[in-house]
Amino acid sequence: MPASEKEYLISFEPEKCTQCHGCEIACKAWRELDYGVQFRRVLNLWQGDYPLVKNVSLSLACLHCVEPACAAECPEGAISKHIEDGLVVVDETLCNGCGICAEACSYGVPQFGKNGIMQKCDLCRGQQLAQAAPPCVDTCPGEALSYIEVGRPAKKVHEERITRLLRSE
Amino acid sequence: MDYKTALQIARANGEECIPTVCGMCGPGGPGGGCGIYAFVKDGRFTKVAGMDESPVNKGAICAKGHAAPQWVYSPDRLTHPLKRIGKKGEGKFEKIGWDAAIDHIAGVLTRQKQTYGAESLAILSPAKRSYSEYLHRFLTAHGSPNYGHSGICYMQREFAFCYTLGDFPRPDCDQSDLIIYWGRQPVYSGPVARPARAFLAARQRGAKIIAIKPSVEPDVGLADIWVPVRPGTDAALALAMLHVVIGEDLIDNAFVEKWCYGFKRLQAHVRQYDPGWAENISGVPAAQIEEVARLYATTPRAAIDLGNGVEHTPSASDTIRAVAILMAVTGHLDRPGGNIFTLPPKVAPKDILLTERYTQELVNKLVGPEFPLAFQPFLEGPTSAYYRILESVLTEKPYPVRAVIAPGTQASVSTRGTKNVLAALRKLDFFVVVDVARTADMPYADIVMPVATSYEVDHPFQMVPGWLMATNPVVEPVGSPKSIFEFFLDLGNAMGYGDDFWNGDIEAAMAEQLEPLGMDMSELRAKKSGVTYQPGPPVYEKYEKVFSRRSERLDHRPYLPQGKVALYNTTFERAGFTPLPIWREPPESLSATAELSEKFPLILSDYHTSKNYSASWQRNVPHLREIQPDPVLHIHPEAASARQIQGNDWVKVTSPHGWLKVKAEIYPGIRPDTIMILHGWWQGCRELGARDYPLADGGANVNTMYSVDPQKAYDPLVTAMASQTLVQVEKFEES
Repeated sequence: MPASEKEYLISFEPEKCTQCHGCEIACKAWRELDYGVQFRRVLNLWQGDYPLVKNVSLSLACLHCVEPACAAECPEGAISKHIEDGLVVVDETLCNGCGICAEACSYGVPQFGKNGIMQKCDLCRGQQLAQAAPPCVDTCPGEALSYIEVGRPAKKVHEERITRLLRSE
Repeated sequence: MDYKTALQIARANGEECIPTVCGMCGPGGPGGGCGIYAFVKDGRFTKVAGMDESPVNKGAICAKGHAAPQWVYSPDRLTHPLKRIGKKGEGKFEKIGWDAAIDHIAGVLTRQKQTYGAESLAILSPAKRSYSEYLHRFLTAHGSPNYGHSGICYMQREFAFCYTLGDFPRPDCDQSDLIIYWGRQPVYSGPVARPARAFLAARQRGAKIIAIKPSVEPDVGLADIWVPVRPGTDAALALAMLHVVIGEDLIDNAFVEKWCYGFKRLQAHVRQYDPGWAENISGVPAAQIEEVARLYATTPRAAIDLGNGVEHTPSASDTIRAVAILMAVTGHLDRPGGNIFTLPPKVAPKDILLTERYTQELVNKLVGPEFPLAFQPFLEGPTSAYYRILESVLTEKPYPVRAVIAPGTQASVSTRGTKNVLAALRKLDFFVVVDVARTADMPYADIVMPVATSYEVDHPFQMVPGWLMATNPVVEPVGSPKSIFEFFLDLGNAMGYGDDFWNGDIEAAMAEQLEPLGMDMSELRAKKSGVTYQPGPPVYEKYEKVFSRRSERLDHRPYLPQGKVALYNTTFERAGFTPLPIWREPPESLSATAELSEKFPLILSDYHTSKNYSASWQRNVPHLREIQPDPVLHIHPEAASARQIQGNDWVKVTSPHGWLKVKAEIYPGIRPDTIMILHGWWQGCRELGARDYPLADGGANVNTMYSVDPQKAYDPLVTAMASQTLVQVEKFEES
């Protein structure tokens, strides 16, 4: 797969999140998702033991990985990564809903709604949002989410950070 | 987003954009409201964005706000007035017209007033809402004092603070170096509102955060110190902190000498409450009590944000008094970064409470005073305790209430003693439910009145500190075209109280209240994102003014007879209550009822607020239900494994008073001797196939678990009802 020229990211800062789930529901409402489908989800992760136990927040959606495992594993070649902006996209005409991508993704991103086709966060590309940020970013009271352009190394660092956070569970 | 962006988005998508106030914290909107842009496509309300221009939410909006369209279009919406044709509790109704229903209610209330007196009517209060004043006004016009305040939230703090400090001291979080969130959830009560943002800002500024509560919630994850207190034992903790700061002379002697009354007696009194004593009761290590007391006393800019968590226990008023005294003696009152007194705003809407009609005769008719008669009326006027109104139906003491109106509140899931509440609803002569959607109590109603959400009507206006905003209709009414405001106007009119109810004209009601603000509704509506008011420069150390503040009692004598902080409270002493804060055990606890703890070894309490529901509402909204699909029990891994319980197991929780069937969530962030559950579970969600739960035993309604023993379950001053008991937990076996 050729290297992307640019990478975009909705970054997340745990210390600015209060787990209000506003981002999660903004996404569901603005993207009119089927029941049970989540492009973004808010997790409560535990660290340590009582009484020194801590919880850490994570608002998680597709990271549009530099080397997406979902695309590598898809037997139909339905998932690809855009060269121009690094977006990981699903070709709905090729996807047969087999679910292998969901097993390959360590972030639990791929979702399957009523039509059985894989769907996930597309950074709201193609949505009519005027100059506003994606609804998940726009609605956050703590500004924990930011829509940013990053380099490939920074994207990889972000992926590793999220992986480490998820492992703490 | 701002208005311009919202309009551009609407235009690009072929939608309309309506600026208005969010109404998800209850029908008719909450006491305060967040600004939103509501989007409408082909006449259908589709989605919401937060309004940048609103100083309340500054462009953010929470999960509930985003789920508003699903609430408006829920299959649980009430669409027609209903009249009972079956037995009470059976839920059989026939449809009737709005006017016929109003006439029927007016007829019954008029006859009852003639036969039993006006006080035979009670109105149960929901949480403070934009329509709360209309409930009071109706009762006062009718001649009944029986406004049924919950005894569960907020007024306990107001009462104990007013009678100790003269006012409610707000934490000045923006300037604090140390903030103690004590029994307080700064997030769930309003995740996009000021307290939650102030919390995050303080954290990022590097302020030290201390969280005192039995379990870890999101705010604890961002705190420096977690004090895992046993539910209902905060008074012991506060008294021990007073013991430490006074014993170690960590006090502001100049302030104490000039502005506090009774220090010597307080000093002698708290000598008995050493941290070792408090450790046995609260479960908090003595060393941690000392650490927190010293940190608070020695940090010049330190604030305490005291929350609802301390208000549900027989020593609720003592906790609040002890904390108030702690603020005072350590010199943290009304100074930057401490707890400050807020003067009333310079401009405010006209008050419609009819306070000039309060009399001793009216007060004396209270069926179950929320505060003792000597302290009535208080801030909301004369009030009876919510539960005691229902109890009077059963005991007929001092007299039975004959009619109850429940406007936006659900007695069987909102207050304790579910079995008694249901028995009272069955026995009650006349019961009216007024709500936007199906409620738990509806099967017992004689009349059900459906009302519009605030997305479907053009009133009220919302005035919150710093912001005035019109409610603008988003869509045509789905259910009833009438609002809860119009229900009381129409009923007032039909009862012959038209002069007090603007002859049924809601426009006139709005105009009268707006008048002091120098505009009318059309002028306000023209201001698309409302009117913002800048606060004046802060004034500190307003001791003389605040400590001489007049009370709401009929004699209007000051709250503080000495013009000083009441460390030793002569007002309470004279009325027969303890002049100094003391420790009073919950009805059942590990330290007081050891004989129970073999059979019931764990402490149970409940969460008052949640991230996605407004009290007992909105479990029917799919987007919200998906966040929290099941009634879960937070249980520590050790407590679970000792009972062979795994995550997602259904478990039976049994107390001396009832039992629940709930789902176990293995929760590392909770005291191993305590389990917690969210209150308010009863409603199913049809879209997701979730059924209703039973209201009492075998359901998930935690209120059925607690003692309502008149001798043990109440705080004597503020009628707080205990939400602590002892339980056993076991895996649920189908029998």
